[in-house]
Amino acid sequence: MKWLGLVGLALVALALAVLLGPAHVPLAELGTSEIVRNLRVPRALLGFVVGGSLAVAGAGLQALVRNPLADPFLLGLSGGAGLGAVAAIAWHLGGPWALPLAAFAGALAAMALVFRLGLVGGAELDPRVLLLAGVAVGAFAGAVTTAIVSLSEAAQLRNAFLWLWGGLSGASWEALLIVCLYVPVPLVTLFAAARPLDLLALGEEPARYLGADVTAVKRRVYIAASLLTAAAVAVSGVIGFVGLMVPHLCRGVWGQRHRALLPASFLGGGVLLVLADTAARVVVAPHELPVGIVTALLGVPLFAVLLRRWTVT
Amino acid sequence: MALRTRRRRSPISAPSGVGVFVMRCWAHRTPLAARLLVSVALLGACGRTGDRRVAVTRAAGAITVTDDAGRVVTLPAPARRVVSLAPSSTELLFALGAGEQVVGRTTWCKYPPAALAVPVVGDGLNPNLEAVAARRPDLVVLYRSPLNETAAAQLARIAIPAVLVKQDRLEDVARAARLLGTLTGHAAAGDSIATAVDTALRTAPPSSRHVRLAFLVWDNPPMVIGRGSYLDQLAGLAGAVNVFRDIAAASATVSLETIAARDPEVIVVLDDSTPAPAPAYTARPEWQAVRAVRQRRFLQLPAAVFGRPSPRTAEAVAELRRRLEAWR
Repeated sequence: MKWLGLVGLALVALALAVLLGPAHVPLAELGTSEIVRNLRVPRALLGFVVGGSLAVAGAGLQALVRNPLADPFLLGLSGGAGLGAVAAIAWHLGGPWALPLAAFAGALAAMALVFRLGLVGGAELDPRVLLLAGVAVGAFAGAVTTAIVSLSEAAQLRNAFLWLWGGLSGASWEALLIVCLYVPVPLVTLFAAARPLDLLALGEEPARYLGADVTAVKRRVYIAASLLTAAAVAVSGVIGFVGLMVPHLCRGVWGQRHRALLPASFLGGGVLLVLADTAARVVVAPHELPVGIVTALLGVPLFAVLLRRWTVT
Repeated sequence: MALRTRRRRSPISAPSGVGVFVMRCWAHRTPLAARLLVSVALLGACGRTGDRRVAVTRAAGAITVTDDAGRVVTLPAPARRVVSLAPSSTELLFALGAGEQVVGRTTWCKYPPAALAVPVVGDGLNPNLEAVAARRPDLVVLYRSPLNETAAAQLARIAIPAVLVKQDRLEDVARAARLLGTLTGHAAAGDSIATAVDTALRTAPPSSRHVRLAFLVWDNPPMVIGRGSYLDQLAGLAGAVNVFRDIAAASATVSLETIAARDPEVIVVLDDSTPAPAPAYTARPEWQAVRAVRQRRFLQLPAAVFGRPSPRTAEAVAELRRRLEAWR
């Protein structure tokens, strides 16, 4: 029943995203309209996959670092992606795919650096060290980004920052295809780690006693979650709150078991981002808001209400 | 012009009142003009009017103006060493014939080519005040912004007069020309530029069909020029219509689908490179939803001429009108 509701919600969100938009498309022309076929549909589907990926990455990272505050961008990936994007613009790297590729490369570089720093204590990934390394790498990348921006011609790089705040305006069937070929691998890796993640919630020692290969699981989860996030940031910039809130909301309904929590987070993240993107396109038309602002505006009050309800009972 | 090379220095005096220490530090490097300014200002500035036009009073050679931030600025004599901290004011100063008086510019002041010979003092927003002061200016021209009002106040503390000039719209050019012309002793040139710009503004656009165009300044997220920008004015004067006229701001982020739905006949891009490469987004699949992109209907305009309101506005209007003929 819960699952049926969520799937229904997902279908409603996707239908709204295709039906609504700043351009008026009569219902009769829905099937033939260029705008619907080449802009709204790929954008809605890409938004769903990106939102879902961010939520699953967030759920995985929250279990990994055993910290409810964790979100996909806590570990320095947004800083790395931003640095990549701004560097690409400042050095006039041409080509239609330069920006997403540079952001992806920046996110991967940040991931590698944080991972390496996370291993400073030995072969074991220490969640506390990982968190500190992520914050430090993110801050460093942010500082370099700001330095580049302050030394460059203002207008272009201001626009780069706008891109970084999140938006799905680069959505196309090609981008959707690339993401759909890429995302299943880290996604399945995380789904497969559901049981060890349950054990990890008990603490590393108990998890080990219960038969989980803690060292390997932690590495796998970190890398898979980061790869998902890097792909998301490459196609849509930094979209906050989805990866933080959706796993918490889903825990309220599906409980702590990751076998249900991860797929539910995927659907929930997709729904939230698709609805937020529809609002971003429609509410202030012909202007468009960065979608990350809408996820926060929609999500945070809802989250506050639920937090209150959970803590009262 | 030999006058300028012989800079007058005055003996060190000990000013009294606020900022004595600072004044002393700067006394040996500050031209007489700047220090006289303080005394003139203390005597009471005249010409404090709410009039939108430049208020000018000449008392015994002194010049008093009200700048675009409403500040009253008094110079004892026309400025001889001007640091210009905005590309638009640098261009205007050269157009006024005050180019040889410009002793400092920003990294981005690249027009006219003669301006490139002027030493760079950094950026125009949040300027490096020490670098500015090191040029020993007797006038600093700043772009009007809240951050620069702070900079002007800081400059006042070291007795360097500054004016804040707004040059966002075509009508601003005329006022700025008169203001800077007066301050640099080129009042007649200022009047003639102002008259030329006013005439260009009043000239009716050609009555033939209006080409519907969009100015695209960025592709991801898509950003277009709205009614608030001078480019919108330029389009109107050239007999075209900006399809994003309804947006009051100078620029705004819009959905790609809005651009596709409004279906401009031509997309205008500002780019200085010759020959201009097709914008990178022409190869992006999602942009094919926009007819003008699909049909490669781009109009590339040199940013150096069209990028900002300037004395070359009449020229820019004529150029745009000529280029648009191809689509009429």
